[in-house]
Amino acid sequence: MALRKVADEQLQTVSELLYRLCTKITGLNGGDVVHHVQYAHTICSSQTSTKDEDEFRIVERLKKQLVRHGKERDAAHFADLHRKLQSQMLLRNRSAILKLLQELSSLDDQSQQAKVSRIGFATHGIPSHLVSTPYNAIDVRGIKPQERTSALTLSNASHYTGGSSGISSIRSRDFSGGDAETLAQSFIPSHLATPALGLNRPTNADPHANRLRTVSIFSRHVENKENIPSSQQAANSLPRGTLTHQGDRTTHQPTEQGILKDLVYVLQGISGHWIKFDTIADAYKVDNESGIPKVYKQELLKISECGWLYMKIKSYIDHHSTDKAFGLVGQSFCAALNQDLTEYLRLISILEAQLQQDLDPGMQETSNLTLSRLRVWTFDPLKRLKWLAALVDTCKGKKGGALTSTIFSYTHHGDPSVKTLITHLLTWVSQPIYATLLRWMYDGELDDAYHEFFVASDPTITNEQLWRDKYSLRKTMIPSFITMDQASRILLTGKSINFLRQVCEDRTPTKGREVAMNLDLTQAASMFSQDQNSDFQQMLDKVYELTSQHLLEVLQVKYKFLEHLKAMRRYLLLGQGDFIRHLMDLLEEDLAKPAGNLYMHNLNGILETAIRATNAQFDDSDILRRLDVRLLEVSPGDTGWDVFSLEYRVDGPIRTVFTPECKITYLRVFNFMWRAKRMEYVLAQIWKNQMCSARHLKSIPELSLILHTCHMITTNMVHFIKQVQYYINFEVLECAWDELLTKVHEAKDLDYIIAAHQVFLDTILSRCLLNDKSRDILQLLRTLFDLIIQFETAQGVFYEAVSSEVLTREIFEKSKKDRTLKGEWETNEAIEKEEKKRRKGFLSTIIPSTRAKLQVLSTAYQDTVEQFLKMVASHPDASLRFLCFRLDFNEHYKVREPRGRSSYLRAK
Amino acid sequence: MAASNPKSKAPAVSETMDILMEISRLLNTGLDQETMAVCLRLCENGVNPEALALVIQELRRESASFKAEVSGDSTLINFTGRS
Repeated sequence: MALRKVADEQLQTVSELLYRLCTKITGLNGGDVVHHVQYAHTICSSQTSTKDEDEFRIVERLKKQLVRHGKERDAAHFADLHRKLQSQMLLRNRSAILKLLQELSSLDDQSQQAKVSRIGFATHGIPSHLVSTPYNAIDVRGIKPQERTSALTLSNASHYTGGSSGISSIRSRDFSGGDAETLAQSFIPSHLATPALGLNRPTNADPHANRLRTVSIFSRHVENKENIPSSQQAANSLPRGTLTHQGDRTTHQPTEQGILKDLVYVLQGISGHWIKFDTIADAYKVDNESGIPKVYKQELLKISECGWLYMKIKSYIDHHSTDKAFGLVGQSFCAALNQDLTEYLRLISILEAQLQQDLDPGMQETSNLTLSRLRVWTFDPLKRLKWLAALVDTCKGKKGGALTSTIFSYTHHGDPSVKTLITHLLTWVSQPIYATLLRWMYDGELDDAYHEFFVASDPTITNEQLWRDKYSLRKTMIPSFITMDQASRILLTGKSINFLRQVCEDRTPTKGREVAMNLDLTQAASMFSQDQNSDFQQMLDKVYELTSQHLLEVLQVKYKFLEHLKAMRRYLLLGQGDFIRHLMDLLEEDLAKPAGNLYMHNLNGILETAIRATNAQFDDSDILRRLDVRLLEVSPGDTGWDVFSLEYRVDGPIRTVFTPECKITYLRVFNFMWRAKRMEYVLAQIWKNQMCSARHLKSIPELSLILHTCHMITTNMVHFIKQVQYYINFEVLECAWDELLTKVHEAKDLDYIIAAHQVFLDTILSRCLLNDKSRDILQLLRTLFDLIIQFETAQGVFYEAVSSEVLTREIFEKSKKDRTLKGEWETNEAIEKEEKKRRKGFLSTIIPSTRAKLQVLSTAYQDTVEQFLKMVASHPDASLRFLCFRLDFNEHYKVREPRGRSSYLRAK
Repeated sequence: MAASNPKSKAPAVSETMDILMEISRLLNTGLDQETMAVCLRLCENGVNPEALALVIQELRRESASFKAEVSGDSTLINFTGRS
């Protein structure tokens, strides 16, 4: 101890320590030991970089070593000592000293002896060499590996080689991993693969690593490195065990090399010598003559499945790549498949090169390629090929969007490797669709020669019908990752652009078009990964919004859509009251004539007068210019009232909204309202008549009863028509109009406006009883209108007769006065008698007939109204039922017809 | 560490040394206490243990051949076989 303390103090540096070591071991001193020290120094300084081994591993290995030599007790003792050492906390570098001890340990005497003798043999005379060039590190390193391995124990040595091969293969994988990031390109780094591909025989160390790399690349395990060591280990260890005994067994049969050669052909879909393709069974068969044992046959057939799959995919590609009608999507599908097959062939060619090398008698290396290895190496490719073949099967006969849908359905596979494979394929396949989609959405151009896109265009449709009929969705071609909603949105966007370009003649490009057009097609993946990111949806929404907004703006500002809509409301739907009233006043005479006697120029003139005289004159001249008279087709017996109607001419883009069908609807509604308006007008005339002639008619008291009846009927009618008018104006028109305006203001695209307009018209039609369902009710209403006209005529006739009578009587009175003035008798019996007779005659003719007529009219009217009420009450439309309330507000009709009321209640 | 504070650590140092010697004996390394001390210090100074082992084996072989030259081949075999 004391000695060592002294030593501690004296010896500080490594060289001093080394010097001490040398003197101690060799027993020499002074100058003799110098070259030993130099040598020791060189070795120690040159070997600074070694792998770190942790203490635990060293200890475990030492224990195992002890156990192996039957010294279990020593092992336990050693563990004990090690534990003590750990508790000491004194040593900085515990593992180093342990390692040293391990290196120096000599448990196995035999191996030790052998080793030492080898060392002696191999490194004889090194010291002298070293002395001459004492610090030549290169020389030392040149010798070093041999010496190092010699110094190691057996287990250690095997560990070393394993480690080094592991390192090299990992490094190579890092290479390919870096390349694999550019996924779309070839997966094998060309500079690494070409030596094997270019038929240069790989160097001795390379093929193994190369092959492994290709396998791993082909199986796309590159991204997750976790999987690699295990698969590599499997590839490493599995064949080794089987290698020798297989070689032994197959010597008397077709050689393994031969079979392997066959197999390599089969993998490329070519029949080999023993393994042949059987076209009848559609499978590869092993020749029975070959004498290959059954066990191996199965193995061979399993491997040959790759070849079968390869052929299948290849034939699909060959069949379709020349087919022009297959379309871009199909072409890219073929290209993607081809790419995968190329990877597969690359593996095959490496295998072939390997086989060639094995067959070469010049190389004394033992067989590298065996059946089992082949099987391992084809395992992942087989899986891939299987999926590709499955895809090919399901995609047969499909193209375009349908093809994409089919592939997409496979991306939901649970296996991530399958998923990446399919996703990669899908990225390729969907690129043409994505490109078409972008072109369509930004430029409105349909670049789809093969009818693969889900928007179809009909070239025969003119610009007039462009919005409605030109473009449609091909339901079968919508890829399943695009929802129906999105598809229709895409359709709408492109359609809007086309509409803007062709109909509105507006060429402003969509904002952001340049950017979008420059975007690469890798974005295609965003279409089918919508559950992960919403880029695609956002893009759609943005373009859709921009385009639609632009279109609406153009329609509103440039084409004054809203103004036209309002004009329609004012003129065709009688919104401009003063104008309509004045027009009716002016037209009354003309329209009473038979329809055949009407002349357009007259009517046009009247229309012009009506416009000038009313507030309509303040309207935009463009709008007034469009207003026109239109006469419907004349059928015999029609009066002017039946055929007259107003028309509003529209042209340009807004025709898309105001289609001819819409115009017909407007015409029908106008007709109906015109009629109702006329009834109001007629009734007003009747009432005026009554009021004007009331005083004269008092002179004939006998008529008061009839007059009363007339009043009653008129009141009835006025009430009815007033309510109907109210209903039409407020319940129907105003409500629907308000709704329409709101919708037009909040509209996001043209389709919405068109739909709102259609709803508006439909509502008016149905509520004005103009649709098919209410035809009976309308019929009744027409009858009522007719009755009103009849009543007008009847009353007119009666009033005429009565006024002439009044006039006669006045003349009679006057003649009486005249006679008085002449000095004659005012009256005499003869005159009196005659007068009385005449009066009696008049009364007896006019009163009963008028009475009867009125009676009939009144009854008919009452009946019709009741019937009308009954039908309206059971009408599904609620607002019509309210009309029923209004008409029968005091239950006047209920008293007369309780059944009608009850039926109404039932209906409620 | 053993060098920096020898007095206070003396019992611990000796104990460590004893343990190491025991292990050395178990593993049959053939190192005596002094060599062991030197080796320990070398290791603590960061010398690669493998290199050190190589040096030791080389030195042994050299000295053995040196001795063999002096006293014949049998000594060599005996020496190396034992170590």
